[in-house]
Amino acid sequence: MANIFFENNILFALTQIVPLLYLATTVLYGIHFFRETPLAGTMKQPALILTVVTHVADLGLLTSMEGYRLSYSAYNLMSMVALTLAITYMFIEFTTKSDKTGFFVIAFATVSAMFSSFLSAYSTGTGPVFSGLGIGIHLIASIFGFSAVAIAGLYSGLYLVLFRQIRLNRFGLLFQRLPNLEAIELLIMHAVGFGFFFLSVTIMAGVLEQRVLNETINLLEPKLITLVIIWLLYGISLLIKPLFGWDIKHMAVLLIALFVLITTLLFIMSLMTPSFHGLRF
Amino acid sequence: MNIISVGVNHKTAPIEIRERIALSEVQNKEFVTDLISSGLASEAMVVSTCNRTELYVVPAMSEVNCDYLKEYLIAYKDARKEVRPEHFFNRFYCGTARHLFEVSSAIDSLVLGEGQILGQVKDAYRIAAEVGTAGILLTRLCHTAFSVAKKVKTKTKLMEGAVSVSYAAVELAQKIFSNLSMKKVLLIGAGETGELAAKHIYAKNARNIVITNRTLSKAEALAEELGTNKVLPYETYKEHLHEFDIIITAVSTKEYILTESEMQQSMTRRRLKPVIILDLGLPRNVDPEISKLQNMFLKDIDALKHIIDSNLDRRRAELPKVNAIIDEELVAFGQWINTLKVRPTIVDLQSKFIEIKEKELERYRHKVSEEELKRMEHLTDRILKKILHHPIKMLKAPIDTADNIPSKVNLVRNIFDLEEPNQSLQ
Repeated sequence: MANIFFENNILFALTQIVPLLYLATTVLYGIHFFRETPLAGTMKQPALILTVVTHVADLGLLTSMEGYRLSYSAYNLMSMVALTLAITYMFIEFTTKSDKTGFFVIAFATVSAMFSSFLSAYSTGTGPVFSGLGIGIHLIASIFGFSAVAIAGLYSGLYLVLFRQIRLNRFGLLFQRLPNLEAIELLIMHAVGFGFFFLSVTIMAGVLEQRVLNETINLLEPKLITLVIIWLLYGISLLIKPLFGWDIKHMAVLLIALFVLITTLLFIMSLMTPSFHGLRF
Repeated sequence: MNIISVGVNHKTAPIEIRERIALSEVQNKEFVTDLISSGLASEAMVVSTCNRTELYVVPAMSEVNCDYLKEYLIAYKDARKEVRPEHFFNRFYCGTARHLFEVSSAIDSLVLGEGQILGQVKDAYRIAAEVGTAGILLTRLCHTAFSVAKKVKTKTKLMEGAVSVSYAAVELAQKIFSNLSMKKVLLIGAGETGELAAKHIYAKNARNIVITNRTLSKAEALAEELGTNKVLPYETYKEHLHEFDIIITAVSTKEYILTESEMQQSMTRRRLKPVIILDLGLPRNVDPEISKLQNMFLKDIDALKHIIDSNLDRRRAELPKVNAIIDEELVAFGQWINTLKVRPTIVDLQSKFIEIKEKELERYRHKVSEEELKRMEHLTDRILKKILHHPIKMLKAPIDTADNIPSKVNLVRNIFDLEEPNQSLQ
């Protein structure tokens, strides 16, 4: 089967441009964070908007080939992770007016976008195509859920770094530029809350869609088991603080561990089991 | 035309000398008025603060030089025994302008980037303006200095970050907590250091400040001054430690007033919610072992000095940007000074042509009607304006060096046969 990206010039160009735009945006956020160059400060937000708009256009063009329906492939998955991270961060920046963590989140989105671009070279089709509201919600909610998990993990890392810097009296660049500990804690808890919500939606939409399709899902399917484990762990982490009095420092360690675990599992499964829960479409 | 500045500051003289030569506002007014009324200077201003007393003078006669002004100030303060001319610095012309720009933008301050100095320079100019000793030159110099200071404040980070222990303590608290208005603060010790810290944290919206002190009346007085009116008896404050997110200690004691076991209990009662203890006492008020407790941030003066040093390093890194702003304004100021030198020639040139016009019109006054004369006058005015436009533009054009001015001025004077200029304006 031919690679669809090589058959459509515009799609091919957009697929190459999108990761470059992510990279350029990361560089601008990085220059502004580390050097505080005014030009980078002025240009970074328009660059982020341009990146998101171009990425949406790229995905729109790709899905247009299948009647604007979502398809499941490792390429699409990574691409959507990058986009949802960028959109979620954009929402955070616009609502909190704080642009101090942009470099870290956008850098992660850039890695996803570049990985997606790399996978596109080996893509032989758009993957299984979904139609129906339930399956669409299932897929989008799972991607937003993962993005929230990723952001919780990233902010947890930043929390621990700043915590350590203050404890060790290292009042350097990160101390100066990062938001305060309480603000990062709030961001973490919001991200965990959103992550749990979206993962819950993912499971519910999946169960409902399975009934509609009258398909039997193998309950021992690795993706399903992983999703349920992740959902349980995040649900528990939401309760750990109020019930067991865990402090945010230990929560942060747990969330980083969860993030690493989830990313590793998703990565392995995307490569090992490219089918969508073993279903036929 | 020259501007001289002489003075003592923290770089040239110790504090005893600076104190001896400082001028009060009344003395300042009297001193600059004396300089003008005695015919020694055409313009004069004095910047006098705890760290500097500096004269900015436009001399009215060539005898008035730096040494003369130093002796004049020493004599005025009757300080010949203590103050010597070696304690002074001298600046001339552009050096004077650069110095005032550096002073106003706070790069010449004892604490780099401290913001008070601009207000003090503005006060000095206000005094000079009030007594009428600030003329065209000092007015322009001061306004350019204010503009430099404004640019430095908005375009650089010279004034960012805490550079005092009490302010650094507040800056640190803000790096842990988002909103200080939601946090409960305990101040142990209502002395000078404690008061300063309380005022800084109050300025950052902390309103729930409880004060305790061995002498309760002192705590009550500070609480009333802050408007919080919350005090705790010194004997019982330890029962409430768990309620506070920020604890500031600033008492004079040889023993630790907060121990590890006390704070361990407090942390357990507050379910390990983060606490910051700012120990501003010397010797230290708080057992250093407390810093090992979970979610406890204990910072003493040494730790806070790390913040100050880091902020000062960042301020120093801004110096090239500040100097670039000063250089830019200095060039513009120098060019403006140069235009002053050509002003008499422009005035003479305009007068000469107006004189010719009036003489010629006078010859026709009785030969033509009133209406025709008005039209002729209007016509000649327009012709003169057009003829003079280019020579005046050429004279006013920015000049990089003052050396070029005499040749331009002489050229115009020779061509139009103008009389010798008034020397006082050159």
